[in-house]
Amino acid sequence: MEQFEGPFLLVDPQRCVGCHTCELACAAAHTQAGSIIGAVLAQERLHRRNRVVQVDAVKLPVQCRQCQDAPCVRVCPTGATYRTETYTAVDQARCIGCRLCMMVCPFGAIHVATTTVAGQEKRAAFKCDLCVDRPEGPACVAACPTRALSLRYPQREADRASQAAARQFLEALGSQPQLGS
Amino acid sequence: MATSDKILKRSIDPSVHQMLVRAEGLGLETAWDRYEAMLPECGFGELGVCCRNCNMGPCRISPFEDAGPKQGVCGASADIIVARNLIRMIAAGAAAHSDHGRDLAHTLLLTAEGKGGGYEIRDEQKLRTLAAEYNIATEGRGKEEIALDLARAVYAEFGKQEGPIQFSRRAPQKRVGLWQKLGIDPRGVDREIVEIMHRTHIGVDNDPVNLILQGLRASIADGWGGSMIATEISDVLFGTPKPIRSLANLGVLKADEVNIVVHGHEPTLSEMIVAACRDAEMLGLAAKLGAQGINVVGLCCTGNEVLMRHGIPMVGNFLQQELAVITGAVEAIIVDVQCIMPALGNLIGCFHTRFISTSPKAKFPGATHIEFHEEQAYAIAKEIVRIAVENYRWRKPGQVVIPNDKVECLVGFSTEAILEALGGSLEPLLEQIKSGAIKGIAGVVGCNNPKVQHDFGHVNLVRELIKNNVLVVTTGCNAIACAKVGLMLPEAAAQAGDGLKAVCQSLGIPPVLHMGSCVDISRILTVCAAVANALGVDISDLPVAGAAPEWMSEKAVSIGSYVVSSGIYTVLGTVPPVLGSTVVTELLTTGAKDVVGATFAVEPDPVKAAQLMIGHIEDKRTALGL
Repeated sequence: MEQFEGPFLLVDPQRCVGCHTCELACAAAHTQAGSIIGAVLAQERLHRRNRVVQVDAVKLPVQCRQCQDAPCVRVCPTGATYRTETYTAVDQARCIGCRLCMMVCPFGAIHVATTTVAGQEKRAAFKCDLCVDRPEGPACVAACPTRALSLRYPQREADRASQAAARQFLEALGSQPQLGS
Repeated sequence: MATSDKILKRSIDPSVHQMLVRAEGLGLETAWDRYEAMLPECGFGELGVCCRNCNMGPCRISPFEDAGPKQGVCGASADIIVARNLIRMIAAGAAAHSDHGRDLAHTLLLTAEGKGGGYEIRDEQKLRTLAAEYNIATEGRGKEEIALDLARAVYAEFGKQEGPIQFSRRAPQKRVGLWQKLGIDPRGVDREIVEIMHRTHIGVDNDPVNLILQGLRASIADGWGGSMIATEISDVLFGTPKPIRSLANLGVLKADEVNIVVHGHEPTLSEMIVAACRDAEMLGLAAKLGAQGINVVGLCCTGNEVLMRHGIPMVGNFLQQELAVITGAVEAIIVDVQCIMPALGNLIGCFHTRFISTSPKAKFPGATHIEFHEEQAYAIAKEIVRIAVENYRWRKPGQVVIPNDKVECLVGFSTEAILEALGGSLEPLLEQIKSGAIKGIAGVVGCNNPKVQHDFGHVNLVRELIKNNVLVVTTGCNAIACAKVGLMLPEAAAQAGDGLKAVCQSLGIPPVLHMGSCVDISRILTVCAAVANALGVDISDLPVAGAAPEWMSEKAVSIGSYVVSSGIYTVLGTVPPVLGSTVVTELLTTGAKDVVGATFAVEPDPVKAAQLMIGHIEDKRTALGL
């Protein structure tokens, strides 16, 4: 059950200062070089999978919520976008760059850009993969200087909330005997 | 406590490992911890594409091909922003060096007027030589009289409007002609720095190449102006360095003496501190408090200044400043300007050490400020030393840990000293270069930077160069790194290739020559100019190369720029913040060759960097028909 309720990235907008560090960390983590400077020196393309936006005075990064019933998966004509046990993935080799996923994503978290797949330049979809190949977890979380980003497991969050609510109820019960009987 | 991998990876110096283990045990933070806490460092800053020059921003250019802004609010591209930022770094570096030179000119002026509180002219011969360079009459005149004219003449270089800066005329005529043709012959030291600030203001110079050219002009005003003035006037006032033996590394601190660390850059204060430490009254006070003496040691470039003039031991380079305090054995760390970490203020809260700032330009949290004025130099120095000596009684001997590491070194190879070692003329050196015994000369300089394993870049680059018969001249933190591993002993010739080894052995010199502090890179320029003039070629034709394997400061950016502007290929060990602009990156690494006859390269691996330099030297040899 918990595996099925895969994790997603949560942002605390009150902590975000809009520095875009998460974007650079995301791009760097998906290069061979592993760093911005290394990638620029090696002339690797940089692609971010997240985007820092501003709404009125509030700044926050937006990225894929790893939807369980993902519109991008449903709409994909080639099966390039698919759901694994933990996240919603794109197989760029099968992607035809039709941009339907971009259109239907309610978070604007997918974009299509030029990339190289098996030595061939093509347009393909990019989206957050939660850095599943990175043992330390998502690069954006590690990079955020204000700790505005965190990786959350919905079921664990729900369990914690239930526990806290239950404890609060029991404490209330102790001090309010009339609730008891 | 065992030394963790984390600590071993921070430095190659065992004394550093020992002090970092101690710091960890005591829960103290050092620059390495702060660096790790800073990671990841901002990618926009790394690429140099962040602009804060006006309040429509801050702006930054997106490095993403397909997303994000490509222009600042004013329309500045990444190329413009990178160029503006880079030359502002040059302006800051040139300003720092030149202000140092200005202070020396001021001290010479006061001394000539009889107002210097204890200074005197120690090298009259050099005074007369410099005066002649300035067309100042010397015949039948006293040294104070000449010094007054010289001080006024060098002082005037800073505020000059039309140029030329006199010392820049030491460069080969071809080079000067090139600078004039490019419009980068500096008109005055301050003018070029000010003009950078003007040009980089919103809406002024927005041509990346034009901006970089102004950066080069300001850097030449540093290398052949401010820095050279600092070097030459220091020699006049404090004596031109001659080879002298001393010791280097944290082990120079003494368990039973008052330890005073002089840290910073200018020799004006440190010279007087050294003198005050030899004052009978101070020695008496130290003895009364149970100390066996007063041990003054140097750190960073002020350390290099007193090391090569007085043999004052060198306690360490830039990244060792906190570690010196962490020994618990330092009564006072006395600072003037540049490369002094504000972190020292917090750190001394955990020790009895007094942190004493002295320059009206440089105050620090947690420091005691005792302002230094040249007019009362000796009296103030004595007051500072008194505070240090009196602090000895608060030392907690149980909490003192001094590493054993200290290594002998032979330092003080000024241009004059090199000439003397060669028997009075450059000819023997030129012969060895022509014969191929010495392949060429490399200037290896620069800072420490926690991005590089401390001293790893310095030591390995230098070892690779001498192994390949490249004579190394060094200043600054590289010099200290080399001293600490014994590369500045004549015996280090054993590590050199056969040709260089034989030359060093016959002259009794080390394969790595200590030429002084960072401003003394001007000495390297003077040597290069003299060699080029002797051969009737430009500096860019010589089999020489430069490197800064662990650079970090804005001064280093100015240095790299004037070295390249002088025609010397230069390899950097850490990447400057320019990669956000292909125009600027290509100009510095390729295009500059057709402009000033030299380029920058970046190579973090010291062995590969040495190979780049050796390849360049070989090419120059071939071109010269050697």
